[in-house]
Parts: sequence; structure tokens; C-alpha cells
Amino acid sequence: MKKQIFAVLSSAAIISSLLAGCGGNSSQSGASSSASSSASASSEGSKQIKEFTAFFDRQGSELNQDNEIQQIIAEKIGAKCKETWLTGQTAEEAVGMYIASGEYPDFMNWTPQLQEAGALVAIDEYLDKYPNIKNFWSESQWNSLRQADGHIYSIPQFGKINIKAMDTQQNGEAFWIQTRVLKWANYPKVESLDQLFDLLEKYYAANPTMPDGSSVIPFEILAYDWYYFCLENPPQFLDGYPNNGRCIVDPKTYLVSDYNITPTAKRYFKKLNEEYKKGIIDPEFMTMNHDQFLEKIASGRVLCMVEQHWDFATAEDSIKSQKLEGCTYVPLGITIEPGMKEMYYVSGESATLSGGLSITKSCKDVEGALKFVNDLLDPEIVTLRSWGVEGKDYLVDENGLFYRTDEMRENAVNADYKASHLCSYSYFPNYGGMNPDGKNAATPDTQPSEFFNGLRPEVQECLTAYGAKTYVEMLDNNVIDGKDQPWYPMWSFVGTMTSETPGGLAWTKMEETKKQYLPQVVVANDFEKEWSTYLEAYKKCKPEDFFAEVQEAVYNRIKLVWGKDVRPKS
Amino acid sequence: MEAKKTKKQSINIASGAITWKAIKKQKELVLLSIPFVAYVLLFCYVPLLGWIMAFQNYKPGLGFLHSKFIGLDKFKFLFVDNPDFLRVIRNTLAMGVINLVLSFAFAIAFALILNEVVHKAPKKFVQTVSYLPHFLSMIIVCGILQDVLSIDHGIVNEILVKLHVLKEPINFLTYKSLFWWIVGFTNVWKETGWNSIIYIAAITAINPDLYDSAAIDGAGRFRKMWHITLPGIKPTIFILLLINIGNVLNAGFEIQYLLTNGMVQSVSQTIDIYVLKFGISQCDYSLGTAAGIFKSVVSIILIFLANSAAKAAGEERLF
Repeated sequence: MKKQIFAVLSSAAIISSLLAGCGGNSSQSGASSSASSSASASSEGSKQIKEFTAFFDRQGSELNQDNEIQQIIAEKIGAKCKETWLTGQTAEEAVGMYIASGEYPDFMNWTPQLQEAGALVAIDEYLDKYPNIKNFWSESQWNSLRQADGHIYSIPQFGKINIKAMDTQQNGEAFWIQTRVLKWANYPKVESLDQLFDLLEKYYAANPTMPDGSSVIPFEILAYDWYYFCLENPPQFLDGYPNNGRCIVDPKTYLVSDYNITPTAKRYFKKLNEEYKKGIIDPEFMTMNHDQFLEKIASGRVLCMVEQHWDFATAEDSIKSQKLEGCTYVPLGITIEPGMKEMYYVSGESATLSGGLSITKSCKDVEGALKFVNDLLDPEIVTLRSWGVEGKDYLVDENGLFYRTDEMRENAVNADYKASHLCSYSYFPNYGGMNPDGKNAATPDTQPSEFFNGLRPEVQECLTAYGAKTYVEMLDNNVIDGKDQPWYPMWSFVGTMTSETPGGLAWTKMEETKKQYLPQVVVANDFEKEWSTYLEAYKKCKPEDFFAEVQEAVYNRIKLVWGKDVRPKS
Repeated sequence: MEAKKTKKQSINIASGAITWKAIKKQKELVLLSIPFVAYVLLFCYVPLLGWIMAFQNYKPGLGFLHSKFIGLDKFKFLFVDNPDFLRVIRNTLAMGVINLVLSFAFAIAFALILNEVVHKAPKKFVQTVSYLPHFLSMIIVCGILQDVLSIDHGIVNEILVKLHVLKEPINFLTYKSLFWWIVGFTNVWKETGWNSIIYIAAITAINPDLYDSAAIDGAGRFRKMWHITLPGIKPTIFILLLINIGNVLNAGFEIQYLLTNGMVQSVSQTIDIYVLKFGISQCDYSLGTAAGIFKSVVSIILIFLANSAAKAAGEERLF
């Protein structure tokens, strides 16, 4: 009898919990249910914390459940967000899966597919209520974000320069080389592609192995998924152009051109081909995925590569915490001929924006979500996100300047510490340049006093040898004012294209073709033959369709910012 | 109950006509089958409504009701405008057939060989060990494979270089000519033990008297294998062959997806990967659905062809 009662009770409990689950989905769920219960909770004195969810289509590391700074922020602003990142799939697949299911996390990175699927919530009507968000970008920058229906659906997170640029680290693309190579050659001047590979060959001949006996990889190329820009886009930099990403834009004539087929592109790939045959390039580069790539970097075996710094920063942190001597990287501004002007490092705020953080229609509490983003831009919270907790992660001197001890610096690159303690909410809007207090830099890495002391001695020695105080000073300093070159960067436009238009379809095919043929060109026995096969396949993709649409977009952006039409009269 | 007892009618079911009487007579059976019919309807037939997407320019924001109908444009894109898809079909068929042939040959051969092992203990041991890879997930298998085939001290390269078959290590996964075979033999490694279970079971059902009388007639091991064991499991082989022919186009997704790279993508893409790429990544659900429909239709045709071939040959068949 007792058993029966127990069985009935337990099954009733299971059923009711199932029903509760269903009910939650249809009528009230997530944030709103916790919000409604907050009234009763707050009467007991403890504040109910709203929990949001976010998915970002990037590689990232998840924070621990009980992350300390996340908790501190949650208590201060009454909300937190569980961030998840790509695991295994590509960005497009992950987003496509969300669209297919029709259920989204509260926050996502804007993509044209999400926009088209009607998955996003327009935020322009709310903006006036949230001054921190509203003032994050200027009126004209907000206007550049308007979609075809006239509404704004995203808040670009990056590129905001508060007060003035303070960059010390080259976050973008460069040829990155380990300091030990430069030191071994007594810090020579390395300007051209030929000089660089010459140096790598000589160093490799003299030092073929690591201290632990594993072999050194003189040059690495990441050719996986969309990260294959490391293989395909250097020709634009080698010719001295900035990272428009998908094309070259002539700043005088506003004409768009294709860097894939320039003589420089051919010379660059021919050089890679020669070096591959000499065994200088990793023979596994074309089969390696992104994780394997980071693993190789973290092992310290890779002497040199083309990469954007943000993408291998975690691997470099691992090199730092393992204390591998001379294995951290400095950027080189390599050009095709020595003595050319290069534009790897560019500062300046873009006048036209695209993409960014979006709120999805699955979010039950849009105003709560916007308040969360708004509160994250609060000066106090900004400091918590970028610097950490005073006394634990940084100290303040008598002038109000932040500084760190060696132990704090080591903590900041330790993966365990980062997961359990630090919480930067990195894909929510971030200030660059200066901290809102106007005294300190936005992040520890950009604090001038803090930055140089925080470097490993080998890097200090290397920078000093080249007369530089920061990574950025290793490169030419370029400023592109968004007002002067409103189209920059064009990759932000290409990111909004879909295969619906002829240009977008051409772009999909061009990418496919480049992914397939460029590795083949690099490993080819007969370079000339493979190169012409590639060019033939490339021409079949109708790149002219793509560049016509990009050209149109350049004119549109110019019109948006300058208010005049610069199209050639025909 | 009362009514049933009194009625005692004999209904001729074999006549094929379904009458109310027959249904009433078997109402318990009908009731019992309802959940299963509902299951099949709900999970196998209702989703087919989604096929409508293939004939629309489907946008998730608009839904089925408001998306524009475009007729057969998506099919035209697949077969006429886009040579890629024909290559994808070729890859799928090639890998499907290689998988089918290899997995049959190896599983049957393995079952025959194992059957010849007289001692029980080693037989059980070998059998158990051979199943184990089946339980590994594909991502682990591919991880192992990448290590084994690695150019950087992978065991296959080491052995081939030591044996002077190769002058220097090569990166196997970048050779188009090897890709299908790597996929095929990986499946053999993973599934042979598992696939052989059913044959081993079928072999044990063969009457041992046959072997004894064959031995009296002077048949050796190979003759017994050829004339008794193989014919004994022939019906099983045919049924499995029929079922698997319908699966030829399911040549796999995970292994090709995990092992592919730019250099072999022209031989590694299968229909499933194509569907994922266009349907999910590019959000062209209509195109993905069209490719999926094509695959289903071809599979059904293959099954019917194989079945009628079996019928003509007078062998076991499905229906």
C-alpha cells in the first residue's frame, strides 16, 4: 500500500513538473518569471538577480558558474548573463541551427541571416531611455546601422575610442615573429617578405628543435574555416593597403580593386610555395583546425605566422604562463619590397558601422536586457570588467593611476583564474582608449606605465632594440578618420551580404574556390600550372558581380556621411 | 464480452477485404496498434509537410504561409546552374558503394574466420575486442585517425618510411585519391566486429549435421565454408544487402565533415554536408530541402530496384 501511494505521488510530481515546464515556455519564462517573483524576494531584503543568456558565434572560453566578478556585477546591477560560444561547429552552422529551431538566447551577435529570419528586436525606439548605450555611438553612426526597414537592430561592441586612442598592442593583423628569432639575429631590420623568410630559414637551420626535442615550425598558416584570411588576405597588406578585408579601395578615386589577382598576390603565393618546398611551412597547415592551431602556438614551436592578435591571444597567454623563453610574439609590418609604407596598424573610429550585439525576439524582457547593457557601461562596472577588483587585480597609486604587481599580471593570463574570477563580458559594448575616469587606460594592456612593466623581459629587450615602447610602435602609425574614409572598413559591409544577390553568391563561390585552391597553390609541385588553374576557377565565380556590389556600397557609405554622390557621371 | 461470445462469426480475413466486422472482431489489436501508427504518422509523415519548402523561396521570418512559391527553381539550381551538386552526388554514391562493399566483405569474412576458431575463450575475446570500436563516437575515431595518419610522427608514416615504401612522410588527408578509401577503411575498422554479429548468429543456426556429413564426404575446411556456411547465411546476406542498398546515399556525414579540408573538399562533400552547408549555414532552407528530397527519392528507387532484382533471382526479399 505504502509503495503504491509513493508511486502515485512521485508520478504526480513528475507530471506536474513537466506541465510546469510547458507552461513556462508558453506564458512566462526566464527573465520575466524571475522578475515577477522579485517583488516578493526583495521584500525579504535580498535582491532577485535577472539571468540573461547570450550566444556569440566566436571561439571563447566559458566562465565558471560561480565566477566572482560576474557575481559582484550581478549584485550591483541586478542582472547577469550566461555567455556561450562556438563549440565544434562553424559560426554559420551554429546560427543556422538557432534559426531552424526558432528559439534563441536573449543576446546574439548580429548576422544578416538572423535579420532576415526576423529573429531580432528593433532597439532604436528604446535608445533614448538608455543614455549609456545612446551616447556610446554618435547620431550618424547609429544612422549607418539602420536596416532596410529603417530600424536599428544592433549595438556594435568594438571600435569605440573613449577620449583618445591608447593602443599599445596591435590587435589586428601582422606578421608575428617570436622574439628569440630576432634576438638570435641581433635584431635586424626586417621589412620585406624575402628578408623575413631569409631570416626564418637561417634561424631554423641553426635551431631546428625546441629544448624538449620537439621540432620547430618556422612558419604557420591558419587555413581553417573563416580564419583562412591568414592565408588569403596578406596581399593587400604587402602592397601597403589597410585592412578593408575583401578588397582594396583607392582613397583618391574611391575605386574598388581585387587584391587576389595582383602581381603581389602571385609573388606572395609563389614565395609560400618555394618555402613550403624547403620545409619552412608546416606541412599540416591545410588539415589543421582552429584548436590544433592554437595548440601549436601554445607549444611555442611556431616561429612566425600571419594572424590577427585577438585570435591567438589566449595561446600567447599560455606561452606566458608556461614561461617559454623567447616564444612570445612581436608584430612585423612586412611589405613586398623593403622600404614601403605599410598600414597594418590603423586607429580611428569608423564613421559607418555594422553588426554588433543584438537582442532576439526570444528575449522576454527587452527593456531589462537593454538596462543590463546600459548598466555594463556604467563607469564602475566598466572598470570591474576591464581591470577587475581593486586591491585584488590592481592597485591605485596616489595620482589615481592603476597599476599591478607581478602576481596580478600572472593571474591575468592564467586560464583558471580567468574562468573563476575575471568577467569581461567581452562581446558586450566595450570602451577602447581611456577608462571613463579619464585618467586610466581602458584596459591594463593599454595603460602606458603598466604596459611596459607588464611585458616579459625578452619583449622589453626586443622592443627597446627597435626603439619602440609598445607593440604598435613596431609598425607604422596610421590614422584613418571615419569622416575622411567613410567606407573603411569594407569587410563590415561584406559581412552583411547574403547569397540572395548575385554579388553575394559570387562571394560565396569565391570563398569556396579560394579555400580549395590556395592551399593547393602553396603545396603545388608546378606553381605556374596550379596558379593558372586557380585563376581560371576564380574567374568562373564571377568576381566582377561581387566587386560591383562592393563599389556600390562604397558610394553609398560616402553619400551617407558626406551627403554627396561621388559616382562617376556616365 | 457477452456480445462477442454470442456472435461467434467466422470472418474470412484472408480474402483481403477490410470490413467493419473484421475491424470489430480485432478491435483489441487495432487499439494496440494505434500508438505505433500515430508514432509513424507524427514523426515520419507529418514532417514531410516541410517538403513544401523546396518549392518556395522559404524565409523563416515569413513562414510557410507567406513565403513565395517558385516552382522547381531550386531543383533547377541544383542540377542545371550548379555543377557542384552533381559532384556531390558522385562523391556520395562512390563512398556509399565503397562502404557497402567493404563492410559486407569484411564482416562476412570476419564471421567465417571467427567461426573456424575452435577454442571458446580466444573466440569470445576476439569478438568482444572487435565490437569495441563501434561504441566510440566518430569524433574520437577521427581524432585517432588524424594522429595515426599524421605527417608529424604518425604511425602509418613511420612504418611506411621504415619499410622504404615512402621516401618521406606524406600528409595522407590532402590526397584526393586516398580520401574515399580512408573513409571506407575507417568504417571497416569501426564496424566490422559489430556487423559480423548477425552473421555469426546466422552461422550458429546452421544444422551441425551438415558439417558432419560433409566431413564424411571428405570436405575440408574451405569446402565446408563454401558449400555449407555461405549458403546457410545467404538469406541473411541478401536481406541485409537489400536494407543497406537503401542506405547507400547515407554514405555518412560525420567522418567526411570531420576529416575534410580545403584540398579534398571536392571529393569529400556528401549530400548531407551539402544540405548542412546550404540549408543551415547559408539559411537557404529551400535548397537544402530540395537536395534532401532528391536523396529520399533516389533511395526509394534503389530499394525498389534491389528488391525486384532479388525477386527475379528468387532470393529473399523485403516486400
